[in-house]
Amino acid sequence: MTKSSGTILDGDSRPEGRGAGTEPRTVAAEHARRILVVEDDPHLAAGVVENLRAEGYTVESVADGRRALEWLAGSSCGLVVLDVMLPEVDGFTVCRTLRERGDNTPVLFLTARGDPADRVRGLEAGGDDYLAKPFHLRELLLRVRAILRRWDWYQSASAAEGAVLRFGGNEVDFRAFRARSWNGIAQELTEKEAMIMKVLAERPGEIVSREDLLERVWGYDVFPSTRTVDNFILRLRKRFERDPSNPRHFLTVWGVGYRFMSEDAS
Amino acid sequence: MKAPRVFQLTALALMLVSVVEVGWWLLDQHRFAVDKVREMHEVYAQQVTAAQALLESGAGAARVRALLPEVIVTNQHAALSPDVDRQLLAEEHRHIAQYAWEGSFFLIALAVCIAVIARALRAEARVIQEQESFLALVSHQFKTPLASLQLSLETMVMRPLSPEHMRALIDRMLADLARMEGMVTQILESMRLDRGRIDLRREPVDLAGAVARVVAGFEERAGRDRITISSDMEHGLQVMADPLALDVILRNVLENALAAVAPIGGGTVVLTGRRAHGEIELGVRDSGVGFRPDDAQRLFQKFSRLHPGGGGSHFGTGLGLYIVRRLMHLAGGRVSAQSAGVGQGATFVLAWPAAEARHESSPGATGGAESVAGRPAGREPS
Repeated sequence: MTKSSGTILDGDSRPEGRGAGTEPRTVAAEHARRILVVEDDPHLAAGVVENLRAEGYTVESVADGRRALEWLAGSSCGLVVLDVMLPEVDGFTVCRTLRERGDNTPVLFLTARGDPADRVRGLEAGGDDYLAKPFHLRELLLRVRAILRRWDWYQSASAAEGAVLRFGGNEVDFRAFRARSWNGIAQELTEKEAMIMKVLAERPGEIVSREDLLERVWGYDVFPSTRTVDNFILRLRKRFERDPSNPRHFLTVWGVGYRFMSEDAS
Repeated sequence: MKAPRVFQLTALALMLVSVVEVGWWLLDQHRFAVDKVREMHEVYAQQVTAAQALLESGAGAARVRALLPEVIVTNQHAALSPDVDRQLLAEEHRHIAQYAWEGSFFLIALAVCIAVIARALRAEARVIQEQESFLALVSHQFKTPLASLQLSLETMVMRPLSPEHMRALIDRMLADLARMEGMVTQILESMRLDRGRIDLRREPVDLAGAVARVVAGFEERAGRDRITISSDMEHGLQVMADPLALDVILRNVLENALAAVAPIGGGTVVLTGRRAHGEIELGVRDSGVGFRPDDAQRLFQKFSRLHPGGGGSHFGTGLGLYIVRRLMHLAGGRVSAQSAGVGQGATFVLAWPAAEARHESSPGATGGAESVAGRPAGREPS
């Protein structure tokens, strides 16, 4: 966190990287349906690529983690389908490196390591979804579609007039994944934090259930419980509430979910 | 609570109880011995009193000594012989020492038994852990070709495909099945090697002939991946080896070389055979992806995969070079790998005892009952 006196759209002291650079990060329309498949098994890679192309996506493919990072440094896409056990650089490291670069491109892990601990590791590394091998083709396509749909929604909702949200002295730029809180501290938002805020901000004053947030932000069965949503809300309160223990904007509706108040709720 | 922890706590409790028990024995024996000595002293005191009474009644000193040998008479005064005191003290010490030694032996024997049992349990736990880890790795290795197979089948079910595309998918599925079959073979070979019950023959084998035979089996695949395989073998190279094990070694080394070259779109694999320092050396040099020099040893570990697999027809299981190293070791030979770095190609050097130099039996042949690559051998049918 860094202290900043200007508005978040000033562009000074922003990190390098496509996710939060001088140009606000947007998945350009021509890239939204472009998918990078990172898989070292040639048969599996060919099968995934063919099927994604048959669905109308533009698909690129590389066989190791180092080449994936090189490709992503020079190009952009709407989704990365990423194997975990890769030569050179493993998939978790690739994803973590992407996030450190400020690149919020969605990542779908596709791997033989399907136990819960690995799933959690993948999601902690910044992955959006996790599919264990062997998988059903329909499920793969469904998950790809769901991730891209969520991103389409986020991108379109963050365009133009919806790009910046101001409440209680806070300012959030959804396209740059940056914010400035009421006390002037510059904040870097994670993709999930930004998406949760977007869902809440779309319906100010209304109750949004935890299940709804899970569905809109994560998809169906990635996380085992709605407790995850609660943790994210706590993080948002710490960032934007003057008194996180007595929230005025991110209000809990017990047993149901949350209500976002753009004006001070007191 | 986990079983090893329960065992440790039980063993500790047993040791503590035993130490207390032995301590109690020693204390009890000491008390017993002291009581006995005191009783004997009382008996002897009575004898002295009786002797004194006899003397006072006029009995001669000789008569008293004959009746009570433990009493000495000096100037008509009876007293207990000093030897008796010494004997009683010695007896007391002997009793205590006997139990101290027996107790110590008992404690040491118990500790040794517990240590042996703990060691056996630890070894068993390690074997179970290795087996579980091996199973996890093996199942992981199978998941990728299974996923590919499932994907191809579901593609055929889900999409209308041209006959050419259908044919390509069928070829892919057949290749996946062949890959899994190859993996099963490699896993079985590595398991036999791990058990150390391999029956290897030691006989002179023409290395150039073996190389030519194995290379012939790879020619079609090499052509498809735009790889040129060439060999330069000195005339009459005879190695002391098992012919089938030699085939397995050469096949795995060539498989590895092709896998290293295929991802970069083609190149060369050169095999060079020569005599050197009483050994026969075979160098396999490829122009492939190479590896970091630090990884030279890791290459030969089980399930170690350093090559990117993309391109051509490479599917590594991570067992091939492990099998090569084990078989070379059993054949009394050695294998090493060198590379200047990633992208710099690699050279594998295999060295066997020359056939002219040695004819004794293989160190790996003792007690052998199984075979390499499924060949029937020894006591156990394959």
